[in-house]
Amino acid sequence: MIRTLIPKSASSRGRGYATEASEHDLIIIGGGVAGYVAAIKAGQEGMKVACIEKRGVLGGTCLNVGCIPSKSLLNNSHMYHQILHDTKKRGIDVGDVKLNLKQMMAAKNTSVDGLTKGVEFLFKKNKVEYIKGTGAFSGENEVKVNLIDGGEQTLRGKNIFIATGSEATPFPGLTIDEKKVVTSTGAIALESVPKKMVVIGGGIIGLEMGSVWSRLGSEVTVVEFLGQIGGPGMDAEISKTTKKILEKQGMKFKLGTKVLKGDSSGEGVKLEVEAAKGGKAETLDADVVLVAIGRRPYTAGLGLENIGLEVDNKGRLIIDEQYRTKLPHIRVIGDCTFGPMLAHKAEEEGVAAVEFVKKGYGHVNYNAIPSVMYTHPEVAWVGQNEAELKEQGVKYKAGSFPFSANSRAKTNLETEGMVKFLADAETDRILGIHIVGPNAGEMIAEGVLAIEYGASSEDVGRTSHAHPTLAEAFKEAAMATYGKAIHY
Amino acid sequence: MTEGNIACWKVKEGDSFSTGDVLLEIETDKAQMDVEAQDDGRMAKITQEAGSKGVKVGTRIAVLADIDDDLSTLTLPAAESAPTPSEQENKASINASKSSESHASASPSSRAEDSSTKPSNPPAPSTSPGRPQKQLYPLYPSIAQLLHENGLSSSEADKIPASGPKGRLLKGDVLGYLGRISSTYSSEQSTRITKLGHLDLSNVKPAPSKAMALSQPSKAQAQKRPGPELESTDTEVAIPISLSSVISVQQRIQATLGVTLPLSTFIARATELANDDLPRSAATKPTADELFNDVLGLNNVSTKTSKARYVPQITALPTKPFTERAGPRRQQDIYDILTGGSSTTALTKKFGIQPPGMMAGSKTGESTNVFSVSAAKGEEKRARVFLERIVHSKPQLLYSV
Repeated sequence: MIRTLIPKSASSRGRGYATEASEHDLIIIGGGVAGYVAAIKAGQEGMKVACIEKRGVLGGTCLNVGCIPSKSLLNNSHMYHQILHDTKKRGIDVGDVKLNLKQMMAAKNTSVDGLTKGVEFLFKKNKVEYIKGTGAFSGENEVKVNLIDGGEQTLRGKNIFIATGSEATPFPGLTIDEKKVVTSTGAIALESVPKKMVVIGGGIIGLEMGSVWSRLGSEVTVVEFLGQIGGPGMDAEISKTTKKILEKQGMKFKLGTKVLKGDSSGEGVKLEVEAAKGGKAETLDADVVLVAIGRRPYTAGLGLENIGLEVDNKGRLIIDEQYRTKLPHIRVIGDCTFGPMLAHKAEEEGVAAVEFVKKGYGHVNYNAIPSVMYTHPEVAWVGQNEAELKEQGVKYKAGSFPFSANSRAKTNLETEGMVKFLADAETDRILGIHIVGPNAGEMIAEGVLAIEYGASSEDVGRTSHAHPTLAEAFKEAAMATYGKAIHY
Repeated sequence: MTEGNIACWKVKEGDSFSTGDVLLEIETDKAQMDVEAQDDGRMAKITQEAGSKGVKVGTRIAVLADIDDDLSTLTLPAAESAPTPSEQENKASINASKSSESHASASPSSRAEDSSTKPSNPPAPSTSPGRPQKQLYPLYPSIAQLLHENGLSSSEADKIPASGPKGRLLKGDVLGYLGRISSTYSSEQSTRITKLGHLDLSNVKPAPSKAMALSQPSKAQAQKRPGPELESTDTEVAIPISLSSVISVQQRIQATLGVTLPLSTFIARATELANDDLPRSAATKPTADELFNDVLGLNNVSTKTSKARYVPQITALPTKPFTERAGPRRQQDIYDILTGGSSTTALTKKFGIQPPGMMAGSKTGESTNVFSVSAAKGEEKRARVFLERIVHSKPQLLYSV
């Protein structure tokens, strides 16, 4: 009883049933990569900013159930796999090797916790108000938050960013239980190594998670509707090379194959598949089926209908070039709007959107956003691929360099893969760079920089790269594009 | 806006100024504004005097020069054309843009076309490709090579139309300048690549409007209901329940323990159990937790149930009609009865009257009461499950008491 008599301090908020609206310069709905980056940037710009997140932890899909935990598993499963199959030839005899999956998951959680806490710290540092709850529009400038700890709070904002992200697209007819039928979320948290795993969708997520469980001992089959793995953005030649390498590691592929239906009522899961162009149907048995057919924007419960905001036929919030909705003070960034669903794209947009508000201009070059697949070896690319250039009728020349001719790759005994440049036939300007090979994900940064600056392959080829490094393969591929490689 | 007036000039020809100085005031029918210098410089020539009316956007109003230019020897570029750049020329017409916003709509002078954009003042977002400008950055290695190979000095680079990002000179520009490739190809390519750098929002197909999408399923729901006119009112869900087994338990307890448990205790207990984990009302909005799980893709993990606070209203029915309907357990009718008075009073009242009748009925096994609850729109299923549970929970009660 006494408690109710104590007046609440002015600074405490969020506990009352409905604290009155306070005006913010910027309210961000969603504390994922787009949202938290925008929040920090806005804090740095001196704006009064609040970020609403309902997960209870910041970082969104990426930090909690996406990029970060999967990279932990990819790295550690790779080490396990290497110790089992690879160290012997390098002169390291290891005795009894045993997998401790529980500990591997614990290591993953440690990484995730550290990073999400880090974001929370950055919020404090940049004076971002962090509100744990579910935000929904109750007016054009008003967001009502259903707080996780109970009660609600209404915020008023001069500007509002929607950064609610995306969710895994379910496969029609298969109920996701995250045990037998899983999305990427369940695939990073399986309690035991499934004997047989079928991955529906041979895109980046499917191949990464397929790799993890294949290395840990699963028999993994990837079923892909398209004729190539890696999704439509991956260059066809690179995709083919990658497929061969992954097959050597033990993964099986069924390309140009569609899944007709699935049945998870029994102990395992049965999938009926047939060749996409018509063919005989067959049944695949699996202990676990990973549904990785893509992601879709997530805007449920946001109250868009309350303020009349529209989505397109794929559920993406409709925006203009400055990320504004038809209500210009409401902007949308990240996965819930247009463009590739990538954390680093969301991050660029978070910064740019704040700059549009604050400075009237922000910069995101969508032609210079890299894609990386963290399998082993990694695959990375930026810019356009051969098929896209052909479709646009652009004349180009291609130059490539295999890692088997690179000294560092040789010493590392990791010689699979290549670097490939696509440059304009006339001007030599770099149009696309595609890499499959060790450390491709780090190496692509140089390619992104080259494209951002409009460099020609000659500009890269005439730039010194340290010896002996894998990056020399990058330089030599550039040389092979405008002239000839020295070492091949 | 398309035109404006020049109210007055704040600088005279030959005056020097520094960044941020007000050069002139312009006015439209709506507003008056200052135009500030974007860079240090000198006023070379004013071509539209103060008081000029209806100056079209894009018209040259003045020529600015670099601060150290000799105005007496400077040749002014011809207006409205892109003349050949001469070495000294670094004139730009007034560029009033402070931000891209005002750039687009502010002053008539902001769009003034001129020979060259000042190198130190690249118009922020939109560099139209293909203008020569002073290269402030180190030349790209390929360009340095080409210039040397072709006997050109590096200052020559400033004369080559540069099509790269932020006015950078690219290899293709030099190749075009040297005549190795078409001179326009490089800038065309830049235009294409610049376009790739933006989200393609040209072909957005909006989803059918929410209102329509919502109205269709709700129509379907309405058809399932007995009558659309019931939509907004509460429905009463009722189920006949025989209390005979309860009464027999009550009697057994009395016989063995010597304690009389009132019927209301049994019913209260059954109600409590039945209220747990009921299917959620169709009208309930998802909670934060569920939406959260939904984001994680765990939508099937979350429970779709919640605790309810139903209190059944019990009405005795004449024994006759129900004796005719043997096994009345699943007699579920949803019919439109408005909620009666407080259910608590109803309970006591009925109990006050009923026990003898029920006792009598229990002996023949025919005694039946109607348990009913009123359910809000969308909660019919929830209410029905609740009542069915009351029916089934009696044996449990028997052992738990």
